[in-house]
Amino acid sequence: MLLSVDNITVHYSRLPALREVSVFVDEGEIVCIVGPNGAGKSTTLLSISGVLNPTSGDITFDGKRINGMSPEAVARAGISQVPEGRHVFTTLNVEENLRIGTSIRQDRSDIEKDFKKVLEIFPVLAERRKQAAGKLSGGEQQMLVIGRALLTSPRIMTIDEPSLGLAPNLVDRVYETLLELRKDRGLTLLIVEQSSERALKSADRLYVLRSGQMQLEGNVADLQDGEKVRQAYFGFEESTTDDDEVAF
Amino acid sequence: MDYIIQTVISALSFGSFYALGALGIGLLFSVLRLINFAHGDFITIGGFALIVPSSAVVATVLIGGFHPVLLVICVVAIVIIVALLSYFLVFQHVQNSSPATMMIVSFALGYTLQNIILMIYGGRPKAVNIFPELTGQVQISDGVSVQILQLVIIAVTWILLIALVLFLRRTKVGVQMRAAAEDFRMARMLGVNGKSVIALAFILSGLLAGIMALLFVTQTGVLTFRMGTPIMLFFFIATVIGGMGSLVGAVVGGYAVGIVSVVLAAVLPGDIRIFRDALVFLIVIIILLGRPQGLVLTKSAKDRV
Amino acid sequence: MIEANTPLLRLVRTFWPLIILSLALLIIVAIVDFTGDIILAQTLVEGLVRIVIVAALYIFIGNSGIISFGHIGFMMIGAYATAWQTCCPYTREMFMPGLPVYLLNNTHHFIPAILLGGLLAAVAALITGLAIMRLSGIAASIGTFALMMVFYSVYLRWSTWTSGASSVVGLPTTTTPWVGYVYAVITLAAAFLYSRSKWGLALRASRDDEVAARASGVNVFRQRLLAFVVSAFFCGMAGGLFGHFLGMLTVDSFHLSMTFITLSMLVLGGMQSLSGAVVGVVVLSFVIDVLRRLETGVGNFSIPTSSAEVFVGITIILILIFRPSGITGNAEIYWPFKADVSASAAMKRQS
Repeated sequence: MLLSVDNITVHYSRLPALREVSVFVDEGEIVCIVGPNGAGKSTTLLSISGVLNPTSGDITFDGKRINGMSPEAVARAGISQVPEGRHVFTTLNVEENLRIGTSIRQDRSDIEKDFKKVLEIFPVLAERRKQAAGKLSGGEQQMLVIGRALLTSPRIMTIDEPSLGLAPNLVDRVYETLLELRKDRGLTLLIVEQSSERALKSADRLYVLRSGQMQLEGNVADLQDGEKVRQAYFGFEESTTDDDEVAF
Repeated sequence: MDYIIQTVISALSFGSFYALGALGIGLLFSVLRLINFAHGDFITIGGFALIVPSSAVVATVLIGGFHPVLLVICVVAIVIIVALLSYFLVFQHVQNSSPATMMIVSFALGYTLQNIILMIYGGRPKAVNIFPELTGQVQISDGVSVQILQLVIIAVTWILLIALVLFLRRTKVGVQMRAAAEDFRMARMLGVNGKSVIALAFILSGLLAGIMALLFVTQTGVLTFRMGTPIMLFFFIATVIGGMGSLVGAVVGGYAVGIVSVVLAAVLPGDIRIFRDALVFLIVIIILLGRPQGLVLTKSAKDRV
Repeated sequence: MIEANTPLLRLVRTFWPLIILSLALLIIVAIVDFTGDIILAQTLVEGLVRIVIVAALYIFIGNSGIISFGHIGFMMIGAYATAWQTCCPYTREMFMPGLPVYLLNNTHHFIPAILLGGLLAAVAALITGLAIMRLSGIAASIGTFALMMVFYSVYLRWSTWTSGASSVVGLPTTTTPWVGYVYAVITLAAAFLYSRSKWGLALRASRDDEVAARASGVNVFRQRLLAFVVSAFFCGMAGGLFGHFLGMLTVDSFHLSMTFITLSMLVLGGMQSLSGAVVGVVVLSFVIDVLRRLETGVGNFSIPTSSAEVFVGITIILILIFRPSGITGNAEIYWPFKADVSASAAMKRQS
């Protein structure tokens, strides 16, 4: 197992945002976490990348405990995150944005090779190399942040809502690229999406998160009719008292 | 005409001085959202570093008597150490607090530093004479002569500005610093070491403060334990006017404040001129109301203020 | 065990923090009065004046969550407005020749004078607040700071009314310990009632979650403005008391140091608690007084000058690092009897 999130609970000030959530990702897998707004998906990713600190539970990466580590240390360990809302550095140009991704690396010659590769994967970035990143379109920015995350040479990449704010054809392109990256470089992916459709199409395994608790996990192959996912997603069978506790 | 040239040079030299100060504050605000009121006291420390610690009325120069190059290096190094210590001992531990809380912390630090200086050196002003040749006048054309120091201030400012721009654009850490200034969390998630970026900002801020201490003491020739406060207030104004978090803004703000105060002093009738400081702060309030993010708009400043 | 059902007891319980603070101060004042120690009495009066200031700061800062660096400006306005009415009838024209004829020729009793001083500060707060209260976050704090600088610079240069950089001397020293006590209790009561009022509640709601408060119909601007004006009023009165304690005024005393010391007291006690305001003043005033005495020397022992200031500075840094909620942890003093848990819990929630 490459990444294991084991029973973590996370609080925002005093309110719990995640309760005993577990997620496991094997090497080479594409795992998707889906759930409605406010389910705690981003919280899960931010806990993995060291921005938030779980109050209980463990996160291990490649057998090493990483919770409590700083975001930069987590990145150094080999986890690269593309957070929600893209976060390009708007005042830096495209190349500088990409170079930030190489901050943690010392292998000069490999960096240059990877840099060229990223520009090959995303030719549009090569064209706009010297342009301020803030001037790029939404789709181009998404390419940029994925390229930037790739340049950290991660073993696993976590992506928060790659389809947010993009036109459907662009979303397809993004996913195509991600699938190719998996095929070509054995990249492991942990993706968060609001809708389960995309996940059922592209992922190997699926988790459904709602109100800070894990509702369902399974192989995508077993969930294709979608009924189970829907139920877990909307939670019709859940008792209301449980909900109240979480909401409070 | 001669008068105008003199006024322009004086405005530019004031503006340069304020721009350097505002830059020192803007650097820290951009990565830490800290408005460092202790910056003025860093400058004071740079001044007092020239003399032997004692409360005697007549100051005995120590570093102040060194060879000019060594003198500059020593003073700048001392101020940088103070700036770094203030990060590691103080600001590092409150960096997740609100900006207003950090502002109180920086007040407290400045207050403490001032009173430590008072404790060691006593409250009486001390005369110190460094680089006396710079306070002379130079003829730049018939009838127009300006103080050499004014030209030096302008030159030093531009050398530092260019060096800083090159550093931020051409070096790896410089680019990392710009990234951290815009989106600190994202930069860290990409492996940029947050602590070293902030430490670097303190080093640069200390460097600027050290150089400003030398320029300021050369100009006034006097050390007092409160000398940093009034100039700090003007740097602060310049930072706010230019837009906090924007380094370009800090420079623009610095020149704006320098030029406006020289011009106001020149054009306002005497009985209103005495209210110049009040006017300047009033302008700050008006700018805050109209453009809370300052005159130079940056994305990060918009998110932050 | 006290059963808390009688109306009187319920009342006592509701006003418990106010009652206990007033009683504690009463005891201190009575003891000092009894000893007849003049130096101690001076420290006490200064402390009581500071309680008025810090409680006034609490009204705005504690409830709005906006740290104001500007209130000492209102204190100065109140101080000089009072001095115009009460100061030195024979030399008033010498110190402040620009005053209107009425003020030059008439002297008011200091109680209405202080009240008018407070009112002038409140008017100044209303006018400036109309603009500055539109800002939020750090911009609002910077705005109040700039405001303080505007007031300070104007008063420093407006020498025909304020004597400028030199002092106005000869104010009657009417602020005795008991006068100070009465004003302190009045201010504490006002602060307490305000923070328990629907306006205080609305403002605190906006402090904790501005968006939610707006969504539930709170006009945040208006609530902030109200608190700003009320707290400026009491700061203005504190200015009047301060002048009549020292017997003199200088513009320079209403600048950064005073701003810093009073804010420190609030921070030390706990910014969001009225009890904290009082605790902060008492603790810091006491410590400063002890250190000052040591600075001048006790027997053969003495500590370096300005030790008190260094100590205050370091204390505030440490407090903000290790206990940002202050000594009281931002809570009020609870009803100490076990009788009713829900009441103290309610109190805690409100604070």
